[in-house]
Amino acid sequence: MLYELMYIARPTLDEQALASLNDKVDKFITNAGGQVVKREDWGKRRLAYPIAKCTEGFYSVLHIQLPPTAVRELERNLKLAEDVLRYLVTKVDPRLVSDTAPQQEQ
Amino acid sequence: MEDTKTTPTNGTTPKPAPESRAKNSTNNRRPGVRFQAQRPPRLCPFCEQKVKTIDYKNVELLRHYLTDHGKIKPRRKVGTCAKHQRMLANAIKRARHVALLPFVTQSLRGESAS
Repeated sequence: MLYELMYIARPTLDEQALASLNDKVDKFITNAGGQVVKREDWGKRRLAYPIAKCTEGFYSVLHIQLPPTAVRELERNLKLAEDVLRYLVTKVDPRLVSDTAPQQEQ
Repeated sequence: MEDTKTTPTNGTTPKPAPESRAKNSTNNRRPGVRFQAQRPPRLCPFCEQKVKTIDYKNVELLRHYLTDHGKIKPRRKVGTCAKHQRMLANAIKRARHVALLPFVTQSLRGESAS
């Protein structure tokens, strides 16, 4: 099953911490029996409203191949990760994969 | 209430094309005047392009379907079909969840609103 995962990381992370968080998320996926098809980092972006007193965040969008039963586990891990402000897992129809270029604001 | 500008007064005036008529009736709508459902049926903007999915990451597109306050515009204003309005609403709600779109604005932007 193809899913899309978007998550927002805390803006206070430095480059190293962000990289290690991204690695951690990748590991969540592979440990759950999935694989990352595509990874897109949007960089720091303004949030439309503050989340956890942050007005910015690092956006990442991944396309992942994951067994449906593993989604719960992935979501649980993301919820427990302190540096992830928000995440969103959506189902993607593989026939309709379109590339939306990330729009940079600011 | 008939709009006198678009309605021909005598038989000699050529009838305006249905397309321009539809445009006029939305632009010239006065506040307080009820809008009349006699325009020719318009195809939903998404049906026109046979849109299959609406991406929640496409902020530019979604923003077009929000009011200044950040609310989702009703179907009667934007003319989408039920199916696409539903897809649109879902996409907007997803975008809001990940803070790509606001839940509310105005209270944050305009300081005058207190």
